Amino acid sequence: MSERPTAQELTEAIAEFLGGEILPVLTDHRLRFRTLVAMNALGIVHRELDELPAEDDTERRALARRIRRGEVTPATLAQVKADVEIRLRIASPRYIERYER
Amino acid sequence: MREALEAVLGPASEPVLLAGGASKEAWAVDAGGERLLVRRAAGGVIHRHSLSLRDEFEVLTVAFEAGVKVPRPVVYIDELDGREAFVMERLEGETIGRRIVRMDVPARLPLQLAEELAKIHAIPRERLPFLTEARLERMVEELDEVGEPHPAIELGLWWLQENMPAPREQVVNHGDYRIGNVVVDEKGLVGILDWEFAHLDDPVRDLGFGLVRAWRFGVDDKRLGGIADIEPYLERYNELTGLDVRPEELDYWELAGNVVWAIGCLTQAQRHLRGQERSVELAILGRLGAEVEYEICHLLENAA
Repeated sequence: MSERPTAQELTEAIAEFLGGEILPVLTDHRLRFRTLVAMNALGIVHRELDELPAEDDTERRALARRIRRGEVTPATLAQVKADVEIRLRIASPRYIERYER
Repeated sequence: MREALEAVLGPASEPVLLAGGASKEAWAVDAGGERLLVRRAAGGVIHRHSLSLRDEFEVLTVAFEAGVKVPRPVVYIDELDGREAFVMERLEGETIGRRIVRMDVPARLPLQLAEELAKIHAIPRERLPFLTEARLERMVEELDEVGEPHPAIELGLWWLQENMPAPREQVVNHGDYRIGNVVVDEKGLVGILDWEFAHLDDPVRDLGFGLVRAWRFGVDDKRLGGIADIEPYLERYNELTGLDVRPEELDYWELAGNVVWAIGCLTQAQRHLRGQERSVELAILGRLGAEVEYEICHLLENAA
């Protein structure tokens, strides 16, 4: 597991935000109700993620270790960039477009 | 909070907690006919090597005495409602980076940034004996404490080690000198904030930090913090300091700045994950750090 926070940890952070910071200041009944429903939905996502296997980061760890030992070849940068792109397409897909202008 | 403040400042307005400020709280308060800002500790620190509020107050005081545009320091308080804090003047102007890059900023702003940096770098280091020297190894230590594999950061660190420029004499560095940590109005630079990362370092480290793409707030084609090209800024700095900093040196420190911030994103997320300060804002930085790692790859491609 190397992507931190994990998807599950992110749902926890959102649930804490909704429950701890948003819910206490909501006075509108409809909004309170919908926020509680949203928190329930997040709970479903959290439990569903429990069922998934953990991310396999063996290759990423090996690559990081090789670079730390100074084992850098002309191919290393492309490997590293491909790995970052995979993570970025999840974390912030539109960011890459900023380099295509 | 108001009571605690009034014990130090006398009659004061009700303190208002301001938005922003990831590692420190900021409270706006008026007392003694002055607009004041209270900077108070929050949970955890971004980097292990950030200054205590006591030392930060001392740096601010010395910078103020050296004529650097900074908020006037008022008083250090070792315990304000259970936490360390200090009080300083509350400057008027814009601090939010994404707003500054969309403002019609005057052409002198980049020159003013160079001028203030020259003043900071001229502060005798003996005045601030507690400042420590930054080293690449420190960045490696911080990354190891996070404990996650980040090949792009590793490759950035490797490149910085392999391509280190001839060292310059170390000077007092602000340590986080960029749009987002300065106050700006329509006339230009009002003041420089957030001195907690002050340390001793190569002067070009400070000069290049503001070039980091994350601090351009979306205006990517203006390399100096989304507000200007680097040439006038660099020329003015060289003129005032008598140094002859070359653009290639700025490139090196721009990459170093990105590595620092990539690790900063991870350590911020750790504050959330370790429960020092639970915040969805800190949490997501752990993932958004991938943007900074992508920029590291981009800069390494350009350097190759």
